[in-house]
Amino acid sequence: MDVSQYLEIFLDETTEHLQNLNTQILTLEQEPENMDTINEIFRAAHSLKGMAGTMGYKRMQTLTHDMENVFSEVRNGNIKVKASMIDVLFQCLDALEEYTANIRESGDEGTNDNEVIINLLNDQLKGKEEASKEAAKAQTAEKEAPASDNGSGDRRKWLQIKLGSTETMVINEALKQGLKVYGATVYVQETCLLKAARAFLVFKAIEEVGEVIVSSPSAQDIEDERFGFDFSVIVISEHPVEKLKAAIENVSEIAEAVTEPIDLSQMKTEGEAKTAPKEEKKETTQVVATPAPAAQAPAPSDKNKTGVKPAGAKPVVNRTVRVDIEKLDVLMNLVSELIIAKNSLVVASEARLQGDPGSQSNVNEQIEYLESVTTNLHESVMKVRMVPIESVVNKFPRMIRDLSKKLDKKMELYMSGEETELDRTVVDEIGDPLMHLLRNAADHGLESAEVRAERGKPEVGSIWLEAYQDGNNVVIEVRDDGNGIDAEKIKNKAIARGTITEEQAANMSEKEIIDLLFLPSFSTADKVTDVSGRGVGLDVVKSKIEALSGEVEVKTVLGVGSTWIIRLPLTLAIIQALMVEVGGEKYAISLGSVQTIEDVSPDEIKLVQNKEVIHLRGSVIPIVRLHKELDIESTKSPEDNLIVLIAKKGDRMAGIVVDELLGQQEIVIKSMGKYIDNKCKLISGATILGDGEVALILDANVLI
Amino acid sequence: MNDLKVIDETSQFIVVSLGQEQYGIDIRFVENIVRMQHITRVPKMPAYLKGVINLRGEVIPIMNLRLKMGLPDVEETKKTRIIIIKMEQCGSIGLIVDEVKEVVTLDMEAEVEKMAFDKDDRNNYVSGVGKHGDGLISLLDLNAVTAEK
Repeated sequence: MDVSQYLEIFLDETTEHLQNLNTQILTLEQEPENMDTINEIFRAAHSLKGMAGTMGYKRMQTLTHDMENVFSEVRNGNIKVKASMIDVLFQCLDALEEYTANIRESGDEGTNDNEVIINLLNDQLKGKEEASKEAAKAQTAEKEAPASDNGSGDRRKWLQIKLGSTETMVINEALKQGLKVYGATVYVQETCLLKAARAFLVFKAIEEVGEVIVSSPSAQDIEDERFGFDFSVIVISEHPVEKLKAAIENVSEIAEAVTEPIDLSQMKTEGEAKTAPKEEKKETTQVVATPAPAAQAPAPSDKNKTGVKPAGAKPVVNRTVRVDIEKLDVLMNLVSELIIAKNSLVVASEARLQGDPGSQSNVNEQIEYLESVTTNLHESVMKVRMVPIESVVNKFPRMIRDLSKKLDKKMELYMSGEETELDRTVVDEIGDPLMHLLRNAADHGLESAEVRAERGKPEVGSIWLEAYQDGNNVVIEVRDDGNGIDAEKIKNKAIARGTITEEQAANMSEKEIIDLLFLPSFSTADKVTDVSGRGVGLDVVKSKIEALSGEVEVKTVLGVGSTWIIRLPLTLAIIQALMVEVGGEKYAISLGSVQTIEDVSPDEIKLVQNKEVIHLRGSVIPIVRLHKELDIESTKSPEDNLIVLIAKKGDRMAGIVVDELLGQQEIVIKSMGKYIDNKCKLISGATILGDGEVALILDANVLI
Repeated sequence: MNDLKVIDETSQFIVVSLGQEQYGIDIRFVENIVRMQHITRVPKMPAYLKGVINLRGEVIPIMNLRLKMGLPDVEETKKTRIIIIKMEQCGSIGLIVDEVKEVVTLDMEAEVEKMAFDKDDRNNYVSGVGKHGDGLISLLDLNAVTAEK
């Protein structure tokens, strides 16, 4: 069965289920008795297992199956939730996430069997058995009973297999074709922990040399580990018996394989097996079932292997956004309005051509209508692209929990504003920077328990993650009530590393010193830990956020805590811009970066260290003559008043001198094509004006 | 079978002129031919990169082929055209040429002489020379033209 078309859905849903599991297990840790949570987890694990099975991801299925087992016991009240169990469960989730990541990359789940985790899960189950020994004993006794029955003397246990008419037919048919039929009984070492897994490997090995017709116990039972230390199969093969034996014994932890060509007359056939009609019935149905999964299982994985290669490093799956059908309806409506607007415009312009008085006002009216439709359309399309940051921040409580254990610090994460929406591309990228900041807060920010006690702070450190919309920006704050940033320490470190000289340091404001943290490979942690201190954090955070046209700043009070503030534009594709003219060329500057526009007479310009500055409302602002930056002649004479745009980036300001102001306009950002993009730092993109001409977009941040 | 062979061995080229010379541009890479239009200058670019134009809502960089190949620049005329080519590694690019003449089909075996210029020659943008009628057509190596040297 070709399942590749479902891959996207599978990955989407798996991610959702895993996220759900993460959240629920966190809740469970707080409230171990909460039945709703346990049920929810059980359901999620069950869906995961089903989905993985359908898609042919066996390892993932095995793991989720074992998880489900544990939960089914918890649900039945046979075992209690313990801290150790929660840890194991989180490990499971990590392993599952790894599988998912592999599948997303290559379409294949990878080869990690995660036996350790499965063992741990089984230990949890055993814990139950110890707790209710009697029940367990009864169970094992039951299990062993048939085994001892069968084990009377003859080690060729496959002789016990009862053949249905179908099987007999298949065997006869095979013999007619000159194929050989063997019986095999496989003895697993008694020390083997994962009998089912071994059995699975044996089945796989057998399938390479032949075909399993029937097995005892049934394939399902073997898969569920409902067998003693042996199982028997009947195999059709074209190879000699030794090859079969070797194939089976090649699997590790297999003690012995007893194999022999079959003699049908020795076998119990349907007629003789009347004593156990029930069992025989079960087995006949099994025959149909056995080859089916066996044949299916290798198929998808093989297919994926071959299918992936040409794709190379490209992920197999496209990124998707789930869209509310209502949003799509709104879009559809707007498009139909757009068509109406176009038609009205055609009619109005025809009327004007015929000299109809008053038609001009009609055209204007229609243009206004068109404008409102396009504005709405823009908004709706943007809304379709917007997703709540929830999907990213949801994984953080879990991360903080793990960090808390790892660092041996008590901490609590408070989140708010998860529903804040951002463009999908931004949401995808923002996870890593946020993770860095949170880790920093946990590791560098929060003090150890002793220091906290000394300072009279509550023992449990707090970290806040808050998101909210502020005008055209979304602000995400990461705040902690920890130590704050020690500017002195950074200064000393920077001098020691030679990043700055002592004279420079003396002239730097505290703020400037703290900004040193954003330089590559700068870490203040005294010792490198697992969590942070390698100095590959904050510069990555900064560059990543700047790549998203956002900015990051930090406010800190020593001893009280620090706040990291990330500002991101709501949308990336359409911005409000100020259109300016320099040397006869039109440029757009993002309105967001322009604070004020000043009319400055040339004699107000002073020289400081041979650089032009103006004095404006108490601050000295350096002047950038845009025409010089753009290598073009200004159209204005030196005596004319200057038009200065005051732009701000963080605490720094600059006055950008332009020739003319053309007004404010909503512009669509276009890429300039691979050939030019990023070659000129000043230009962040291009846009197409109403007259069809291209205007370049200036990145004011580069000028400051 | 014979028909197929013919297709294999011939290629179509758009013949353009730059000054006195004629150049051939492999038609497989040509997306469009447009008239000269206003080009928005992009600052801090090499001289041969004239700027960008808007082609049906897409912003496309424009290269002056004369300057790129080290020929003297000339005033644009009514015949000046921009040939939009699309290459895999650098996307769409427009090339300014003096004039577009015709489309020719050249038999790659019989009519084209492969050029074995020095590969390191920085100004070598020709991959071969085709004979067509009385004239010769230099076949442009578009990869070399669009490569950043």
